[in-house]
Amino acid sequence: MADMVKQCEHCDLSETEKFSLLKQAVENYEAKENNLIQILHMAQAIFGYLPDNVLKFIAEEMDLPFSKVSGVVSFYSLFSTQPKGKHNIKVCLGTACYVRGGKKIVDKIKELLDIEVGETTEDMNFSLEVMRCIGACGLAPAIAIDDTVYKRVNPNKLRQILAEYE
Amino acid sequence: MDVKLINGRKHLEEIKNAYKERMKQFERTILICSGAGCISSNCGAVKDALIEALDKYCPKKKINIKLTGCMGTCSIGPAMIVQPSDVFYCNLEPENMEVIVQTDIIGGGIASEFCIKDKKTEEPIPYIKDIDFFTSQQKVVLKNCGSIDCLSLEEYVVNDGYLGLYKAITEMTPEDVISEISKAGLRGRGGGGFPTGMKWKFARKSDGDEKYVICNADEGDPGAFMDRSLLEGDAHGLIEGMAIAAYAIGARKGYVYVRAEYPLAVERLEHSLKAAKAANLLGKNIFEHGFDFDIEIRIGAGAFVCGEETALIASVEGQRGEPRQKPPYPSDKGLFQKPTIINNVETFGNVASIIMNGSEWFTSMGTKKSPGTKVFALAGDIENTGIIEVPMGITLGEIIFDVGGGIPRGKKFKVAQTGGPSGGCLTSEHLNVPIDYDSLIELGAIMGSGGLICMDEDTCMVDVARFFMEFVQEESCGKCVACRLGTKRMLEILERITKGDGREGDIEKLEKLGNAIKDTALCGLGQTAPNPVLSTIQYFREEYEEHIHDKYCRAGVCSDLFISPCENACPAGVNVPGYIALIAAGRVKDAYNLIRQENPFPSVCGRVCTHPCESRCRRAQLDDPIAIMDLKRYAADEAMKDTSPFMDIISRKKNKSIGVIGAGPSGLTCAYYLGRKGYDVTVYETEEIAGGMLAYAIPEYRLPQDILQKEINTLKQIGIQIKLGVEVGKDITFEDLKETHDSIYIATGTQVSRLIGIEGEDMSGVYHGLDFLKDVNLGKLKELSGKVAVIGGGNTAIDAARTAMRLGADEVHILYRRTEEDMPADCREIEEALEEGVQIHPLMAPVGFKGDGKIEFIECKQMKLCGFDSSGRKVPKDCEQENLKIDVDLVIPAVSQYSDLPFVSADEVEITKWGTFIVDKHTQMTTMEGVFAGGDVVRGSDAVITAIADGKKAASAIDKFLGGSGELNKGKHIEIPMHYDESELVEHDRFEMHAVEPDKRKNNFDEVSLGFHKLNATAEAMRCLRCDRREG
Repeated sequence: MADMVKQCEHCDLSETEKFSLLKQAVENYEAKENNLIQILHMAQAIFGYLPDNVLKFIAEEMDLPFSKVSGVVSFYSLFSTQPKGKHNIKVCLGTACYVRGGKKIVDKIKELLDIEVGETTEDMNFSLEVMRCIGACGLAPAIAIDDTVYKRVNPNKLRQILAEYE
Repeated sequence: MDVKLINGRKHLEEIKNAYKERMKQFERTILICSGAGCISSNCGAVKDALIEALDKYCPKKKINIKLTGCMGTCSIGPAMIVQPSDVFYCNLEPENMEVIVQTDIIGGGIASEFCIKDKKTEEPIPYIKDIDFFTSQQKVVLKNCGSIDCLSLEEYVVNDGYLGLYKAITEMTPEDVISEISKAGLRGRGGGGFPTGMKWKFARKSDGDEKYVICNADEGDPGAFMDRSLLEGDAHGLIEGMAIAAYAIGARKGYVYVRAEYPLAVERLEHSLKAAKAANLLGKNIFEHGFDFDIEIRIGAGAFVCGEETALIASVEGQRGEPRQKPPYPSDKGLFQKPTIINNVETFGNVASIIMNGSEWFTSMGTKKSPGTKVFALAGDIENTGIIEVPMGITLGEIIFDVGGGIPRGKKFKVAQTGGPSGGCLTSEHLNVPIDYDSLIELGAIMGSGGLICMDEDTCMVDVARFFMEFVQEESCGKCVACRLGTKRMLEILERITKGDGREGDIEKLEKLGNAIKDTALCGLGQTAPNPVLSTIQYFREEYEEHIHDKYCRAGVCSDLFISPCENACPAGVNVPGYIALIAAGRVKDAYNLIRQENPFPSVCGRVCTHPCESRCRRAQLDDPIAIMDLKRYAADEAMKDTSPFMDIISRKKNKSIGVIGAGPSGLTCAYYLGRKGYDVTVYETEEIAGGMLAYAIPEYRLPQDILQKEINTLKQIGIQIKLGVEVGKDITFEDLKETHDSIYIATGTQVSRLIGIEGEDMSGVYHGLDFLKDVNLGKLKELSGKVAVIGGGNTAIDAARTAMRLGADEVHILYRRTEEDMPADCREIEEALEEGVQIHPLMAPVGFKGDGKIEFIECKQMKLCGFDSSGRKVPKDCEQENLKIDVDLVIPAVSQYSDLPFVSADEVEITKWGTFIVDKHTQMTTMEGVFAGGDVVRGSDAVITAIADGKKAASAIDKFLGGSGELNKGKHIEIPMHYDESELVEHDRFEMHAVEPDKRKNNFDEVSLGFHKLNATAEAMRCLRCDRREG
């Protein structure tokens, strides 16, 4: 299941195809309440984020109140109800990265892209998030853009790194 | 290698034998680290390049290549081990593979450019058995991590994998298993340290036949990556541990709760679970003994609180991760209200080994109450960042300096943070503390999960507390008022303080709030959230006070409190980025004037300052710090070429007079600023020339006398009077001064050489440092010969050594009781001394000067370094070897100075036992009304710039004392160019200061440093990052 979902992360499926994939995911998990979080992960991977209509769909399929589903979504920081940019920049602000200048990297990216943390650029190319420790502390400060982790990032080199994704 | 069904010991043995047979064909095995760190460093490309190179150069050779889990050497990856020789290569790139294949695989030699180098000698250390980082560890939990193929069940079995489970199921009862774990004394490795055996016993006793085993792999502590490495490198170790636990308590289902930020760990765990299931090591009727157990993965969704066990359970149940009241405890009512045990990954990682080797084996390691080992993740300001496993009871200093390699870039150790946002600080006074659960709790800290973040001297502890509180505040689930509101209020206070808006009473409020939250919060997150704040207040209260009262951040981090880190580090507050920008713009005279606003001695400081600014320069994070001191000298030298008179603005005359005792840098600075405020100032100086230590103690080749006097004249020209050859207490009394002047500033410095305190120190031929240098500078001593020994490691010792060389000594030896790295003298000075032929002997301490009336030899003890003192330096202790005898003709002890105050008695004014004045921190006033003091006579031997800063501070305080505003007259405002073109930012090494060649300079006193050429100065100034710029 995870592989299937991974594949569709970057491809263009129609809305109907996406919903049918989601329905399949719910079935794989037997629509059991305690699998809600895993199902939400799948949904976010398929749709890129979790809009209300997707949550309503899940609530119906799993026979749960919408408030229950939305309550779980709002609790966990990895679930996003806003669309993300094409490239998601995650800056690690765990202790080790912070000690090695993580905050300056956030400030610099904010400056370069003119967005705040949690926002997406107007051209929908980049969104910026702060992460709490991806476990690459030996290579602090670290940032991740999509699936690529950059280590020992220098704030003065950020412009070059971002340029690769223009 | 697909593994077929494993139903009994026979199968396990078959796999081992088949593997051994298959391995016989390989002449070498190459292990490539593929822990998460190395994957980010592109180890995949290294592996591909290796295969390509092998195919190209030796396609017939049979070489086995394995991708292993984390080897622990994260900062020098990608890394590789070649077996059977056990050679370690690091910092690898795909292009290097050809060389390694040709030199090592084919040639049988060692590709030494890829080996770890000894820090001091730079010699390569190829073999693992010689590398400290590896040999100082003891791998139990990590025994397979980094040595077996991380995706191979087969290799796990070959290393005695699943034998523990087999033994438990077939030879032991569940009660036996629990008993063994209890006897071993295993304590929860997630941070709590709760006895694992006890937890399992409670779960076993609970009623019900539906029980659960949960592995907490949430690892939310920022800075911790031990569990991650274990999951990615040896997932079967976890699986086996969980299976044994399930057998012990009677569970049939297990969950591993992994945080979503670890996709690689999830992937590898999934792979291993699949393999285990296919081999029937999980599932039904395991080892054909009627034991059923299966494991499912549950992914988290980014909530730190889900590391708390009841919140974790809620999350596994698909709910919001809010903690629940305890009791009931999970072992009673846990997942789905059934008895559950929750243990950390590392705890499970110990279980199989304990069952296999027995509890006695386990208790032979570590301490009595904390047996076994602990995995630590070293991160932050430390050389060897990565994963280590060491026995409990190792000291903090050993972890940081021996295994960890110490603090990089020559910085001092400040704090080690354990336990993440729930933990406390360990400072340099704790370096000798053995690390175990109980010793840390006694210190107000906790073991935590194993994340150990090292922080150096450039860390602001208030900012660190704010950082942790911000994290906890965001992660607070909101269920209980104490945590939800309490952490928010604490964060607000901390943010005000770091922004320069701290108020009286803030510290007390933080303490009160913190303790209240600890007592009333519902779960562990809230109960421990105040720990970093309370701990930093306990050990670094002065930093909080400085932020609040003085609006000063000594570490140079809270940027709302200063212009730039360099300006913040300068005791005199010189606008460093300002004058550097002016030099870059070609406005050198303006640069000189800008410096003079805060420091009237640019020529002097540009040559002899200790430059604390450079140690904070942010450019150092890119390549090298800016040559701030050399640029200051350039500006001063250029400005001094202009011989037209100075036009310092002076305020209206006040008709009040100040008496300054001592015409050193401190006294002259104070006189200068007071003079510009309109006061009449008279300076009384005992000697025949002005300058103090600058004139006497600093040799001519570092600070030429004529340059010093020229600079002193720029101060004199505002109209201050300097009376030379007048000694207060002899030629004029202190009482007279008090009557003549409205206020007095004492800056007489430390004139008397401190004695080492050993036998024979008063013998002829023993010439104390300060006296020696003074006599040379005054022309009284013009030459000497023979063998000279200098005792000490500071600038005075180096000055004495290089001066002795120039006077004609045949050999000059410096004896210092610690190592060369510990010498407080300036690095450039030490380097130049060595170039001139001075020899340095570390770890030597004199115990006696021997001779018949005149010195003949020195008797020395040899020292070794062990343990740590409170400043974080290793303590020299007697080696207890035979004392050495060193023949000498002259000995110059240079081990610090102290002050002598013949003109004022201890009854009238408070002085310390070392003879220095006790003054108010903010005004420099002594306990005698109207009498101020500063410089070395207050601080003991210190640097020129602090003496200058004291003089300035005192001038302001004296002005206030006499009814003025306290604001100094610094002249016209100088416009500083603020435009900064980022496209001009390129990597470039620092422009080095050129010196006269050693052969040409070691027998004369001509100035050694040659100064910058205009082109180099301008280019060096353009390297400045202009940290003074602000947005908007």
